[in-house]
Amino acid sequence: MNSQITKEDLISSFLNKRVKNNSLYFDEITSPDGSVLPHWQRLLDSYNKLGKNAMDERELEVERQLKENGVTYNIYGDPNGMNRPWALDAVPMVFSEEDWKVVESGLKQRTTLLNHILKDIYGHRTLIRSGHIPFELIYNHQGFLRQVDKLEIPGEQQLIQYSADLARGPNGKMWVLHDRTDAPSGAGYTFENRVAMTRVFPEMIRENQIRKINTYYQTLKKTITNLAWQNKEEPRVVFLSPGSENEAYFEHAYLSSLMGFTLVSGADLTVSDGYVWLKTIKGLKKVDVIVRRVDDVFCDPLEFKMNSQLGVVGLMESIRQNKVMVINPLGSRILENPGLMAFLPKLCKHILGEDLILPSVATWWCGQESAKQYVFDNITKLIIRKIYRDNTNRSVYGSALDNKQLEALKDEINTRPYLYVGQETVNFSTTPSYIDGKFESRNAVFRSYVVADTADNSYQVMPGGLTRSSAQEGTFIVSNQSGGISKDTWVLGSDKHVKKDIVPHAILQTENVLPSSTAEKLFWLGRYVERSIFLVRLARVIIKKYYETEDNLNVEKDIVLCALLKAFSNITLLLPGFEDKKTLISPEKELISIITDVTKTGSLNHSLQAFLRNAYAVRDRLGLDTWRILDNISEESNQLKNSTRINEISHILDGLIIRLMAYHGLGVDTMTRDISWNLQGVGRYLESSSMTCTFLKNILSKEINTETEKSLLECVLINNESLITYRYMYRSTIEFTNALSLLMLNELNPRSLVYQISQIEKRVSHLPSNSNSQLGLIQKKLLEATTLVRLSDPAILKIGNKKSGRRMDLLVLMEKLELLLGETSGLIINRFFNHTESTYGFVSTKIPEI
Amino acid sequence: MMYEVKHKTVYKYQSPVSLCHNIVFQVGANNSLQEINSSICTIDPEPNYMMEREDFFENKYLYFSVQKVHKNLIVESISQITVDQPFWLDIIPSETPTWESVVKSLRSIDTSNDIRQFYLESPYVTFLKDIRAYALKSFTPNRPIMEAMLELNNRIYSDFTFTPGFTEISTPLEEVFKHKKGVCQDYAHFGLACVRSIGLSARYVSGYIETIPPPGKPKLAGADASHAWMSLYIPNVGWVEFDATNNLLVADQHIRVAKGRDFSDVVPLKGIVYSGGGQHMDVTVDVTRIG
Repeated sequence: MNSQITKEDLISSFLNKRVKNNSLYFDEITSPDGSVLPHWQRLLDSYNKLGKNAMDERELEVERQLKENGVTYNIYGDPNGMNRPWALDAVPMVFSEEDWKVVESGLKQRTTLLNHILKDIYGHRTLIRSGHIPFELIYNHQGFLRQVDKLEIPGEQQLIQYSADLARGPNGKMWVLHDRTDAPSGAGYTFENRVAMTRVFPEMIRENQIRKINTYYQTLKKTITNLAWQNKEEPRVVFLSPGSENEAYFEHAYLSSLMGFTLVSGADLTVSDGYVWLKTIKGLKKVDVIVRRVDDVFCDPLEFKMNSQLGVVGLMESIRQNKVMVINPLGSRILENPGLMAFLPKLCKHILGEDLILPSVATWWCGQESAKQYVFDNITKLIIRKIYRDNTNRSVYGSALDNKQLEALKDEINTRPYLYVGQETVNFSTTPSYIDGKFESRNAVFRSYVVADTADNSYQVMPGGLTRSSAQEGTFIVSNQSGGISKDTWVLGSDKHVKKDIVPHAILQTENVLPSSTAEKLFWLGRYVERSIFLVRLARVIIKKYYETEDNLNVEKDIVLCALLKAFSNITLLLPGFEDKKTLISPEKELISIITDVTKTGSLNHSLQAFLRNAYAVRDRLGLDTWRILDNISEESNQLKNSTRINEISHILDGLIIRLMAYHGLGVDTMTRDISWNLQGVGRYLESSSMTCTFLKNILSKEINTETEKSLLECVLINNESLITYRYMYRSTIEFTNALSLLMLNELNPRSLVYQISQIEKRVSHLPSNSNSQLGLIQKKLLEATTLVRLSDPAILKIGNKKSGRRMDLLVLMEKLELLLGETSGLIINRFFNHTESTYGFVSTKIPEI
Repeated sequence: MMYEVKHKTVYKYQSPVSLCHNIVFQVGANNSLQEINSSICTIDPEPNYMMEREDFFENKYLYFSVQKVHKNLIVESISQITVDQPFWLDIIPSETPTWESVVKSLRSIDTSNDIRQFYLESPYVTFLKDIRAYALKSFTPNRPIMEAMLELNNRIYSDFTFTPGFTEISTPLEEVFKHKKGVCQDYAHFGLACVRSIGLSARYVSGYIETIPPPGKPKLAGADASHAWMSLYIPNVGWVEFDATNNLLVADQHIRVAKGRDFSDVVPLKGIVYSGGGQHMDVTVDVTRIG
């Protein structure tokens, strides 16, 4: 095969198509006559040089990079929408140096302008009084928070972070589609995109002189840490996320750990004495700065949206007292206001004495009679939007409505004209995307990032950003959910003139604290990983036994298999399960369900999901390689969900056990022996010792004939990973007293009860303690447990009741241990995770009623 | 007229509360219509943190938090207030400007935003076609604003049936209008919706009213409650208060605490408690004439 032809085809067929197509859209890469624009030329040559096969490989490599880095997003309210892989196009968006100069200066100007407007809106409101901004545009906007009126943060800059969505219109000019001023997102994904592209296309990044985006993050960190009211040397900065179900939670975890800020959710914070405190495992710690990704009105249920569970009660009071800095300041969302766009050109002239460099998409605000008339006359050519976004209102294309709907819309606009704008539909420009082995044109939107540099009152623009392209040419929706794909954004040029920010050393060294809720998740993470391991092992032993059983048609006669199956039901608490004779006769259906069904609390797969959920919730604390393993486990758990054959399940379980052990091993090898480590360990050993007790109680508490018992004990030893040790130690046939001694009393066997409970004791003693009393109680329980185990005598435990054959001593001992371990768990939860209650509710309110 | 107002709220919680944050709008303000002689708010248990603040509408309010475990919370405000006869009693309704001219002047940027903001919708006061139509029956073309408003006030009073317990905070205006039942705050919200939907500025007033027992009967302790009414802006006159619940042009029996766009701006007492259990609330109000 002539590879030259393949290479030629890759680009030239794309270019040919473009010329013939006579496209509606401005193209980023070609001029109308089909010639390639200079700033793309080198890149296209590189693609040509690579050829299709290599390009396919690189594309796969991009996907692999992102997957391995655990880059994901969630879909709200969709249980199957968690941790979707983030899609990145192998072809970036490219800005030429000259083009970028305009964008950069335009963004700086726009941010400066918006900052001025923000200051005025919550200050003297002269712009409103003079009529430069219609008052209805502000006072009717849900982002106009009367509670923050006259509150300012020090310095000229109120707007700290700003993002604009930009697109190039048919005339080749960049237009601003949206302003994002409340809690702009995407900077974390942008960084990950660049990391992946740098790994996969290192030579192209080098050859093309791509500007670096790091400085943006440094400035962001510097600005945020400098903004603290108090404690300026070592401010405690937290990154407030709505939680692990939020669509961009990956980014919250990623950015916070990149910046060295503690990732928290509302429940981790509490207000008392007018200060905001972080609930940590070492007690309450004062918070100086909150970088929020929680929307403004969700931030304090007492003063804003009363049903919000994402915020911090009393936060507004703390802000009023200048005890905490919130970034962006509450109230900034007033600028996310398409109505304002209609007035920006004049405002820019009035305030800055300059022409607006970056035009906004053409906007008519219906609060003005003539503009409203224009919107009505041209309604089928426009998008109709409200001046604020909320979950209930979406923008509508006039062209998509029938006559009846149009009349209803006009009627609504007539009732509340000032709430609506009409905007021109912009045909975004196209950029090439690499799709299914071909270059294709897709329409793209570019999100930029601007941050205040408080050191010199300037605004810095990230030389790059997050570009997203649509799933099809001709559609302009670029969200993840609609199949949009992200692109890295390359700005050509030199970084030489960029000033470098050195982040002060002290700031880099802020103490790493452990929020109580994170601590709790680590504890459960430990419990669920151990539970999963135990259940996978047991399921494997059972499946093996099931295949081996001599009498396939009369399963219920295989005493060993039956004992194992019953134990499985009892341990998972999915009862009656195999305790029901009928189920035991044809066990396959129940066995599959107990393993695969995530909807059954206690099932193997349910435990895996719980393990994964807790892991995702602490993802900022786990390393990259751990992510790769978790990703595999997640895949296997999904496969299990859909498995209907024992055979298939058996294969998956074989893979799972290795992955789970790898997770564990990586932890042993890499985790710092700090509180996180100890908590996970306490969870693990509590779970494994409790499981062992329950298992032994269920499976060995009745005497059976020696041969069968031998076979059963063998299964127990396999399940406990102790068979090899047994053979090595005793070199004899398997026998009850020796086996039990190994499983319970051997201080050197890491799978023995006494070893595991001593491990809990050891780990607990490393946990922080303010007062010794409760910790003392925990230690007493554990001491009682180890003593009970150590004083027990397997020879006595072996003896069964003469009549019933039940081994009462064994039964009583195991139940006592289960109880003690359960109490220990309860005490630990109480002592370390619940030091301030986090559930709250509104007190009833009496309405005036005379 | 001089009054003493006692407003006492007692919360009993089923399970102990470790932390609570509260906002109290029960402290009246001095203005041209009334003078606060004394005012005190007692909270038990004693708050660890308390601040007196002023809101966007220039109302005074208290913010407090209790940070120790408690099972009961008592908030008691006692104030003595002298209320004057308001200036609007002397106005001749037929001599006030037409309501259309008021609407027009409100649209001009010469009118201050502090006044204009009250012709907009607010959380509890939304524009509905039917309510607008109801209002326009009184606000006929070129009618003097005060005259029209007095008639509207009277119509609301006669069309609606005062029915405690029929509505709650979340009952939407449509429901109130459909059944024409409710309590004072429903009357006030409805009146506001009427006049705002035709373009006039009007605000919600919360406070107290002196109640007079039936002839020959003694006044019962704790029989009063907090009250609400509305005030309408008339250029060159000012804010004029109307009480539809009692079909009154407000005189000197009303004691003002706070004003806002609607109830949500001036809730007499709201709070959040950190606790798992339920609660019981008891509110008593006594308005006594003392001079």
